[in-house]
Amino acid sequence: MSVAETLTAARPRSGRTVSFLFLAIAITLIVATPFLPNYYVRVINSLLIYILLGIGLNIVIGYAGLLDLGFVAFYAVGAYSYALLASPQLDLHWPFLLILLVAACLGAATGILLGIPVLRLRGDYLAIVTLGFGEIIRIIINNMDWLTGGPKGIPRLDKASILGIQVARPIDFFWLLLVTVLVVGMLVWRLERSILGKAWAAIREDQDAARGIGINTTNAKLAAFATSATIGSIAGAIFAASQRFVSPESFTLQESVLIVLMIVIGGIGNILGIVAGAAILMLLPEVLREFAEWRILFLGLLMIFLIIVRPAGIVPRSFGPDKLIRRLFGK
Amino acid sequence: MTLAFDRLRKQYGQVVAIDDVTASFAPGLIHGVIGPNGAGKSTLINMTAGSYSVSSGSITLDGKRLDTLKKYQIANSGVARTYQNIRLFDQMTVLENLEVCFYPVDVAGTWKEVMWPPYASARRERRREKCMEILRFFDLQGYADSDAGSLPYGRQRMLEIARALVPNPRVLLLDEPAAGLNHHETAELTARLAAQRLPDRITIIVEHDMDLVMSLCDNIIVMHHGKLLFQGTPAEVQASPDVQLAYLGTANDIDDIRAAAQDRRAQLGIRARRRS
Repeated sequence: MSVAETLTAARPRSGRTVSFLFLAIAITLIVATPFLPNYYVRVINSLLIYILLGIGLNIVIGYAGLLDLGFVAFYAVGAYSYALLASPQLDLHWPFLLILLVAACLGAATGILLGIPVLRLRGDYLAIVTLGFGEIIRIIINNMDWLTGGPKGIPRLDKASILGIQVARPIDFFWLLLVTVLVVGMLVWRLERSILGKAWAAIREDQDAARGIGINTTNAKLAAFATSATIGSIAGAIFAASQRFVSPESFTLQESVLIVLMIVIGGIGNILGIVAGAAILMLLPEVLREFAEWRILFLGLLMIFLIIVRPAGIVPRSFGPDKLIRRLFGK
Repeated sequence: MTLAFDRLRKQYGQVVAIDDVTASFAPGLIHGVIGPNGAGKSTLINMTAGSYSVSSGSITLDGKRLDTLKKYQIANSGVARTYQNIRLFDQMTVLENLEVCFYPVDVAGTWKEVMWPPYASARRERRREKCMEILRFFDLQGYADSDAGSLPYGRQRMLEIARALVPNPRVLLLDEPAAGLNHHETAELTARLAAQRLPDRITIIVEHDMDLVMSLCDNIIVMHHGKLLFQGTPAEVQASPDVQLAYLGTANDIDDIRAAAQDRRAQLGIRARRRS
């Protein structure tokens, strides 16, 4: 047996072990969460929110290949939608699901609003403009005191309830977020495999050749921006409902960069990778709490290490959810 | 019902790349475009496909203006092309490279594909079937799940032509399809293109490989310095003194070249002597 044969023979089995490990950790975590103290449930909730954000941003970055550094703007749009429509600020107290719908629509609209001026831009130029867009939204929120409360933010948001069931404790939000992540993840994965998903990939690979086979790149890109922004906005609304307080501090450039990092470390263009990336970037600071001042250093070293060892991310693009399922249940 | 250029012109500042070219291309035939380097052959293809804008004049397909349309609209009007430098979607599989061509037809059903799994699998299956048929025609079925970028050069050329054929185009533009292929592969390509000579299709090939052009094309256009120099059957083109002139130059040119070469040799000789 040659070396190459040994490698290919060994790969499926180790892949299967890793897949089972992946699934086992996920199930254990889900089952154990209700019994964990609130503090840990909150950590897991924020992990789920970041997974949701990652899934959203990945549509633009991973599928369509457009580097968007202003994603946090959509997160802010969703969060402030909830904050304004369910608080004493404007004395509006809309039901949670309705606000979720409004946030989704507003998110899509904002996504298209950002999309239109940047259609012609690629690479570095796109990154700079989107970065500016993210900051503009944050600065607007910071300065519109009469509406958003400015830097003080909006306190005392309503407790959320879905069809009469109150969603207030961290564990309630855990279930809400888990369902949202699963549903959104599923839909986005199906979107990736649809003809539109293939068109995004074609645009990422060669925009001009994509036009040459009849793809209206304008529409396809706007669809990517809108879908991505919708998911970001939904994540924002849930985040606001769970914190019951919003302020511009939660929507800095650093957040955008963190989400991009999650995608790059985890595996660009792959939902499974985002879960892995989010887990590492969210849980690492918790594990390293003792070494607070060394955290950023550790993160830097980890990034250098991963980029050398796994340049395509922890879970590369080629190992998508379909492969995982096949490894788990197939031959 | 043809593809027609009417006093087509392309100008970059003072440089005229295409100079008032008027020509029409009948369906059912394979048209060759030949000419020395820089004659404007690729520019013609790029203008027809909408990659370059038109300075003046017009391009029409069945009487409909193409030059005012956007590139993707031109593609959706039935014009498909390949590129001089292969442009595949490298990190997509060979099959996906073809499947994505169904975008104009299938995009309206995207929502349904996402929300309704049976519809999605039916669509996927239909796309897959049609694409596999084309892959088999090009003997690429064995590569279906490999990344397009990992294919050997010759196979990539074939795949690019396969991709262009997926929408069953009215107009097929091939920009140097045989460049970089060996004899065996060129013969394979010639046979496959001959088999794709459909009654309704207008195929235009820009090519330097004269064996391929002369054996495959029914009608040949000779370009020289951006102008249409000659149009005719392969036999007529080979017999034309104008074409020979453009390709080989005049007897005076040859004398000039000899003189220049002698000068150069003399210079080199001096340099060589100095060195020793």
